[in-house]
Amino acid sequence: MTLGLTINALAVTAASGRMLLDVPKLHLAPGSCLGVRGPSGAGKSTFLFSLAGLIENASGAVTWGETNLLQMPAGARAAFRRRSVGMVFQDFLLFEELSASANAALSGAYSDPAHQKAIESKAEEVLTRLGISHGARTVDSFSGGERQRVAIARALASDPAVILADEPTASLDRKTADALIDDLLALVRDTGKTLVAVSHDPAVYTRMDRVIEIVDGRIATDEAAR
Amino acid sequence: MNPLGPLYRAIEWMPIAAQDAVVLLVLLLPALVVGGLVIFGYRPFSLVRAMLWRFRWTNLLFIGLIAVSVGIGVGLIAQERGLRQGTARAADPFDLIVAAPGSEITMLFAAVYLQPSDVPLLSGDTYQSIATAENVSLAAPIAFGDSYNAYPIVGSTPQFVTHMSPALVEGAMFRGHADAVIGSGVDLTIGATFTPAHGVGDAVEHDAHAQFKYTVVGRMQPTGSPWDRSIVVPVEAVWEVHGLANGHAPERADQLGPPFDPDYFPGTPAVLVSAEQLYANYALRAQFQTAETMAFFPGAVLASLHGLMGDVRQVMSVMAVITQVLVTTGVLVGLVILMRLFARRLALLRALGAPSRFVFSVVWSYAATLIFIGAVAGVGVGFLAAAIISRVVTAQTDILVNATLSWPEFHLVAGFISLTVLLALVPAFIALSRPVITDLRS
Ligand SMILES: Nc1ncnc2c1ncn2[C@@H]1O[C@H](COP(=O)(O)OP(=O)(O)OP(=O)(O)O)[C@@H](O)[C@H]1O
Ligand SMILES: [Mg+2]
Repeated sequence: MTLGLTINALAVTAASGRMLLDVPKLHLAPGSCLGVRGPSGAGKSTFLFSLAGLIENASGAVTWGETNLLQMPAGARAAFRRRSVGMVFQDFLLFEELSASANAALSGAYSDPAHQKAIESKAEEVLTRLGISHGARTVDSFSGGERQRVAIARALASDPAVILADEPTASLDRKTADALIDDLLALVRDTGKTLVAVSHDPAVYTRMDRVIEIVDGRIATDEAAR
Repeated sequence: MNPLGPLYRAIEWMPIAAQDAVVLLVLLLPALVVGGLVIFGYRPFSLVRAMLWRFRWTNLLFIGLIAVSVGIGVGLIAQERGLRQGTARAADPFDLIVAAPGSEITMLFAAVYLQPSDVPLLSGDTYQSIATAENVSLAAPIAFGDSYNAYPIVGSTPQFVTHMSPALVEGAMFRGHADAVIGSGVDLTIGATFTPAHGVGDAVEHDAHAQFKYTVVGRMQPTGSPWDRSIVVPVEAVWEVHGLANGHAPERADQLGPPFDPDYFPGTPAVLVSAEQLYANYALRAQFQTAETMAFFPGAVLASLHGLMGDVRQVMSVMAVITQVLVTTGVLVGLVILMRLFARRLALLRALGAPSRFVFSVVWSYAATLIFIGAVAGVGVGFLAAAIISRVVTAQTDILVNATLSWPEFHLVAGFISLTVLLALVPAFIALSRPVITDLRS
């Protein structure tokens, strides 16, 4: 399964009244990979969170396939994320005391038993593919690159149609970053997932199908990648 | 009133242990139901384990606080029951006491628990009428007032010694006026001699009876009462030591024990009466409820004393629960604060799309685990506390107290668990009300 994105009049305003995000229109084809760049504080993370239905006071429409997230109650949005969205955060956010496998299969803890098995095996599969062979070790002893791989495995374990990644290669050295983004893109493209990846790293967004630049909460440029 | 009364009445056809087990289950039921509802369908425990481990020392402190408050609470309640049982056991051999009119409680303390007090004496004629009354199988004078090394010396008869200790563990019954049989806890050996002091406690006059010496000839079995620290001597000797007639006419001056001669009977503070049949005791009590005598069952006086304390017991149980709940509330407030440290992880779960109820179940299970481990450890602390306090009380009062936790305490702990895991729903709700994105960015 694969999902396209349609944004209509998306606006996020801070409690102070400051405009954080203003996206009148955006369409993203199912299975495509979108890079998001822009200066720090421009609203890239806010944009990504809006796509996941995590921003409470967003207005407009964020529609994945047929589902307009912004018109749904919090519980339904959570259910949508559970089913269809895999998220990779700027700073991993792992449970340090759990093993890599347990972290990657985290969503199994709250899914039905049949699903749990699928999640666990998928998590193992992705970990292996990403070169994490010591899945039983607790992640507190993992390096930054290894942690980021575990975080990616967690996002992919439930086989979602959409992957939202915030700086997936931040704080990694060049070589590790390149290898990781290649692996991520391969995994995403293999299964026709739609990817939105925020990054400062040209090596990331030049590998995408399309790149938008956000400046001061607005889309400043929107172009196909080379 | 006991709120569990109706439940007990509904299941009174069951064996006692089954009744208690059912009540335990019913008390745990709210906790089990809430736990089942909260956790149903989820597997929060690997996350809970991770969170417990992450702040293990803080968690251990919380568990320790709960355990100590639960333990001391149930330990004290068990102690109160142990004390009642101990005092009742100590009073067991004393079927009926006849004494000069006065306070039954003073006499109870003097005759049964050997607490010194000045009481008027019964005359020889009165003693004679008791001893010769129909159905009386034992009428033993109990003459206290002297002591040796803080051991009270009590004058009585060989029949009384046999009543207290049907067999002697060592030596033999006294045969001469200067013989003594000691309680199991008296630090003297057979054959040892000692001089009695007049009076007991701070008021003793050591030299009053300096010319007199008793010889230890036998040792009684342990009774679990202050009598274990008593020295029983022939009542004739007590009288003689005080320069009085010895209860027998001069021509029978060497006799030990009954019958006594009313004309040579200097008086006794109390008489222990035992009837041939149990029921006859009631008639005897009525018979000696006169202008010159009062008669009472120590067991009954004790029971009414315990009855008075029944309210105290209820209050104590309630206070114990309140204290435990207060401590647990403190712990839960601590948990709410601790949850701020977990806020990022909980926000992560919600960002990933975990159902609210799952996040709720993680927080609740975490709190409930602390409470449950604390309560179970509290039972252990309670056993320990009861054992230690029992030893102290036994050493202080010579009344053998064997307090140990039993069903009422287990019920209390079960009720405590149910109440506090319900309270633990509060931090779980608070955790859910936190803003996801703010916590995620923190
Ligand atoms: N709840 C909020 N209230 C007010 N301002 C907010 C709120 N959330 C974010 N902001 C502000 O919105 C702006 C955009 O933040 P955002 O995290 O989206 O930036 P970003 O483009 O991801 O930056 P970076 O590259 O540093 O991660 C920032 O100036 C931030 O301070
Ligand atoms: Mg950002």
